Amino acid sequence: MERRRSSHRIRQFDCRTRLIRVEYFQWAPLEGPTEKMDKKRNNLSRFLYYGSRWILGGVFIYASYDKILHPAAFSKIIYNYQILPDGLINLTALVLPMLELIMGIFFWVGFWMPGTVILSNILLVSYIGALILNLARGLDINCGCFSTSSGSSINVETILWDAAFLALSVYLTVAVFGSENSRVLKQIHG
Amino acid sequence: MPISYAWIFHKRFKMLKQKCLQAIWQCSALIVLASLLAFSINYLRNERLHLFGNWTPEARLMDSSGKRLDISLPEAKKLFLQQSVVFIDARPQDDYEKGHIKRALCLPWNEVDRNFMRVTEDISPDTPIITYCAGETCELSHNLAIFLLDMGFSNVRILINGWALWKEEDLPIESGSSTAGQG
Repeated sequence: MERRRSSHRIRQFDCRTRLIRVEYFQWAPLEGPTEKMDKKRNNLSRFLYYGSRWILGGVFIYASYDKILHPAAFSKIIYNYQILPDGLINLTALVLPMLELIMGIFFWVGFWMPGTVILSNILLVSYIGALILNLARGLDINCGCFSTSSGSSINVETILWDAAFLALSVYLTVAVFGSENSRVLKQIHG
Repeated sequence: MPISYAWIFHKRFKMLKQKCLQAIWQCSALIVLASLLAFSINYLRNERLHLFGNWTPEARLMDSSGKRLDISLPEAKKLFLQQSVVFIDARPQDDYEKGHIKRALCLPWNEVDRNFMRVTEDISPDTPIITYCAGETCELSHNLAIFLLDMGFSNVRILINGWALWKEEDLPIESGSSTAGQG
C-alpha cells in the first residue's frame, strides 16, 4: 500500500485578515486493484505460513511420542540403520525424540523460529539421506519414522513423505528469513 | 535523499547475517535443552537406557542369563545333517514361500501371536531350535528367539543372516509353503 507521507501541511497567508492559515491533511491510503491483490497475496502467504507451521509441529510431536516412551526399541532401530558409531546410538535415541518434541511445540507457538526451521531442515535432510542409503544397501529394516513397533519398513513412500515435509520446512525457512526483505523495504519507504 | 541499491544490499545483508547468528545460537540452545530434558527423564525412568550402550555382536546376542544365542554355520549344518534340530524361519510368509531352509517351519515374527501355538505344538521344550532370517542386521530371528525362550523353549539359537549364508554354502533348500506354518 502506498503512503507517501503521513501528513501534509499547507501554509497560506490571508492578506485581508493578515493571518497565516495552516491546514493539515492526513493522506488516506490508496486502495486500488493492485492493493487488493496485495491483500489477497498476503492472506494466502499468511495461511501457508501458519498451515506449514501447524503441520510440521504436529508431525514432529507425533513422531516423538512413541520414541520417548520406548527409547530401548528406538536405539535398536538406530543401530539397524548402521550409520552412527556405537557410542552415539543410545545418546541419539534419547535426545532426538526430545528434540523433535521441543521443535514441534516451538513450531506451534512460533518461538525461536529461525533456529527451529534450520534444525528441522537439517533433521529432515538427514532422515532422507539415511533412508536412501539403506534402500540402496538393500536393507529391510524398520523405518522408526513415527513408531518403534515393527511393521513399518523403509520404502520409497517414506522418502516421499519426508520430502514433502522438507518442502514445507524449506518454505518456512524462506518465509522466516525472507521476512527481512519486507522489513528493509518498510524502513526505506517509511 | 536518493536510496542507492548498495545501501539496500548492505542493509539486507546485515539483517540476514543477524538472523543467521540468531539461528545458530537457537539451534545450539535447542540441542542443549533437548539433551538436558532427555537425560533428566531417562534418569527418572525405571528402566534407564545406558548413555553409551554396548552394541557389540556378543552383547546384542545374549539372553538375560548372559548366554550367547548365536550359532555358527558349521555347527548349524552339523545339527541339520543329524536331523536333531528344528529350523524356524522368522521372515514374512511370502519370503518363506519363495525359498527356505529344507524342513524349516514358518513362524513370521509379525504374526507370531496368531501362529505360535499351531507351529510349535509338536516341538518339545528341550528340542534344539535355530531361528533365522535374512540380513546381518535382521532382528526378526533375534526377537523370535527371545520370544521362544520366554515361552519355555530352553535350547534356542540364532543363525545370523541364516538364509543368505545357507544359500551361499549350497545347503539344502526348498520353496513353497510348509504344512505346519500356514497362516
